[in-house]
Amino acid sequence: MFELMRSIQIDAENGHASGAAFIPADHPLFADHFPGKALFPGSLILELAAQVAGPLAEEAVKAQLKIERWAILGMVRDARFLHPVFLPALLEIAVTILRLQSSNVSTSVTVTVNGERVMQAELVMMILESSSEWASALEAREDRLARWKEAS
Amino acid sequence: MSERDTSAEVAMLVRQTLALSENEPISSQQLFFYDLAFTSMDLLDLLFRVEEHFQIEIPEGTIYHLARGDLAEAQFAEDGLLTELGRQRLMALLYDTPKQLFPARIHAATLPRFCTVGAITRLVDHKLAERNV
Repeated sequence: MFELMRSIQIDAENGHASGAAFIPADHPLFADHFPGKALFPGSLILELAAQVAGPLAEEAVKAQLKIERWAILGMVRDARFLHPVFLPALLEIAVTILRLQSSNVSTSVTVTVNGERVMQAELVMMILESSSEWASALEAREDRLARWKEAS
Repeated sequence: MSERDTSAEVAMLVRQTLALSENEPISSQQLFFYDLAFTSMDLLDLLFRVEEHFQIEIPEGTIYHLARGDLAEAQFAEDGLLTELGRQRLMALLYDTPKQLFPARIHAATLPRFCTVGAITRLVDHKLAERNV
């Protein structure tokens, strides 16, 4: 699922991030959703938004609270799917922190395609301490983030 | 002057958090984690709803700070655990929670787990009074 993200830019001090994700029309995951008219599911738009909101939350918590944790999507509040996303599509994801606490970070997310707003949501990222069993996942996350940042 | 029924409004928000019907009884004595099977995510959701509904702010650590009051930090908690004095302060603040539910060692991050619906209602009343001063 992380393969769809192309780039990310994070401004932790000011609580903003932006990212881009490209979804080809012939992606095998969407072959039956729907045949001849590939439509990107709203749940996956949320997932891609969380892939930008998560690193922003982690870096903002580190920059502002001086603690190193990792973020997972905890709550979706007030999500609105404003237009269908037919494939292929380049999703541009903009995230702003609304509130930062040591246990959770609330973010406002706007996703656009060709300049048109397709989703607006508030995502709450839960901030967790990582345990050793997640070491390989965290290492992969670091590699991924480095690639996405380099592509920006 | 009209008095708002904070208790009924908090009960309504609890129902919304748990997706319960309007007729589901919620009492001030009920404990979120023990009686209503709340998870920490449910509590966070409820606090967001409470903040929006009453237009108040309940930042994390609110119960901790209210229980601690004017005690020095070291007197209230050490290494993330409440001292005995801190535990007594918490029990005084959450006086409607059965005493036997407070373990000897209470982690400072778990204080909201001991709250009743009534305790959150009192917190809302406290915040509303602060706002109106």
